[in-house]
Amino acid sequence: MVNALGRSPEEIWPRLLAGDQSGMRARDDLVPGRSIVVADVPGELPAVPPRLRAYACRNNQLTLAALEAVRPDVEAAIAAVGRARVGVVMGTTTSGVGDAEAAIRHRHATGALSASFHYAQLELGGAAGFLAELLGVTGPAYTISTACSSGARALASARSLLALGLCDAVVAGATDSLCGLTANGFTALQALAEGITNPCSANRDGLTLGEGSVVFLATRDPGGIRLLGVGESSDAHHMSAPEPEGLGAERAMRAALADAATAPSEIAYLNLHGTGTPLNDLMECSAITRVFGDPPPMSSTKALVGHTLGAAGAMEAAFCWLALRAERAGTIPLIPHVYDGVPDPKLPPVHLAPRGGRVAAGPVLSNSFGFGGNNCSLVLGAEPA
Amino acid sequence: MIEARVRSWSAWSVGREDADAWRRWAALPVPLERSGHPEARFLPPLMRRRCSPLSRIALTAAFECCDEQERGRCASVFASRHGNINESVDLLDRLAERQPLSPTVFSHTVHNAGAGLFSLAASNPRTSSSIAAQADTFGCGWLETLALLEREPELPALLVVADVPLESAFAGLVDEVEAAYGVALLLAASGPGEPLGFALEAASEAPARPPWPDAVEFLRWLLSGEPRLRLGEGERRFAWERRSSGPTRQSGGR
Repeated sequence: MVNALGRSPEEIWPRLLAGDQSGMRARDDLVPGRSIVVADVPGELPAVPPRLRAYACRNNQLTLAALEAVRPDVEAAIAAVGRARVGVVMGTTTSGVGDAEAAIRHRHATGALSASFHYAQLELGGAAGFLAELLGVTGPAYTISTACSSGARALASARSLLALGLCDAVVAGATDSLCGLTANGFTALQALAEGITNPCSANRDGLTLGEGSVVFLATRDPGGIRLLGVGESSDAHHMSAPEPEGLGAERAMRAALADAATAPSEIAYLNLHGTGTPLNDLMECSAITRVFGDPPPMSSTKALVGHTLGAAGAMEAAFCWLALRAERAGTIPLIPHVYDGVPDPKLPPVHLAPRGGRVAAGPVLSNSFGFGGNNCSLVLGAEPA
Repeated sequence: MIEARVRSWSAWSVGREDADAWRRWAALPVPLERSGHPEARFLPPLMRRRCSPLSRIALTAAFECCDEQERGRCASVFASRHGNINESVDLLDRLAERQPLSPTVFSHTVHNAGAGLFSLAASNPRTSSSIAAQADTFGCGWLETLALLEREPELPALLVVADVPLESAFAGLVDEVEAAYGVALLLAASGPGEPLGFALEAASEAPARPPWPDAVEFLRWLLSGEPRLRLGEGERRFAWERRSSGPTRQSGGR
């Protein structure tokens, strides 16, 4: 896992629990004439090996950085089941469009694309193709791109490929990289916060873009953390705004709970989509109140790592995974909800998780809602080994 | 093998807008036109105006493939290698000139624009996925459709595969059959429709590559009566076989 808070789960997890916002910084090189706050990944990233130079882009470098922690497990799985039985499903909305921007700028300046540019860097399918070629696996490899639900869907489809017996292991995750296209696109949509995003606050005014990558190894092996439930829906309302009542979000959460055979009252923690836009947080909290009645403690992690767009669904599932793995004496730690502390009286009353909180262990739910009204909720839970 | 039933199909390319035209094509296949798009008059005017050529092709194939009831309740997968990259490149050109972007154009060039527009135009509240897989986009689109049927087996799932050739800056950068086309297949886990078995096979001698896209080759095979189809270059093989000789209902030309 890699995001604005670090390069590994060990580095990121304590900073999440501390509600650390130090990954946020202002940049004036993304949107002409405007400084915006983003949660980017600082420093050098691992290089794409020369044999895969057609895939050399920031997006795939982030994937490489995220892969590092799980690579030994992935290599062991490939050795155990054979490379033809290992699939790859990745979510992304950007692939290497940031590198394509540089190539296009070069073309505007010189009349030709830069020599280092390859189409595989830009095409969305390259996000999965890169990982499959890097690992030498020949099972199916594809990219899901459904805006901000891409990463959640990648995990859902990995589970399906295992259930169908088409793969014995799936390398699944998601990556999104900060780039001019998304920064300017969300600016045009007037969706960006003036400062750091402030989810569920009366003063919330938009989202903060982030970037990052997370890679899971998914298998049918018993024990460990399981993807217990998947719930999906479409709003059928608008291309870039959520349906204001949250009816699609409600259907996705109910379907995920039903798929997990879990009652709403059993959910120990809920990771909000929580973008910090006025409309999202209102519709999401309304939907949660209808589904749960008395909702569990919840938080949005987007004020800590930004909105990682296509990666967000897998990233936040990974945060849930870390919370479940941190179970001690029947309780799990809560990832705090960081905002300016000014509740919005227009939102239904919800229990925003405090710093340092713990709850009785149980399954957790993570929401992801994307452009085009594309909704996906996941339920994760710990299974005794 | 994993069985799925083809309830109905439809396809679009320039000059081939109904089932009879595709049957004639399948009997004597030739390469497809590389440009053009349908009018998509069934869409509300405002929505139609905002649709890219790719979205018009994909939605036309989708609407031809299923009747109003089916398209209002099927899950769906939109598979495209390039997606709306031509429109994205226009946005990148604007960025290179430090021009602001149009919010409407931005939200209609995302890869899942076709999926979002389909749910809007068909008032469909069910799940909709959107994938890309380089040269294996059709085979992986089939897999993703099987994945949706695995999660929600009660109702059919619509697979829509569509592409238009790369233009402008990136033309010629990729080794791919160039065609403007869309193919829609309404698949179901059980019930009526032609049963097909699907499997991933180990790498073997690569099948001959036809001069039209994989999804169109699949349609040719579906109409041909041939027992088996194998697609895929490199090290991946996607294999289909017929389970019976029952006819596939088609709904083109409605």
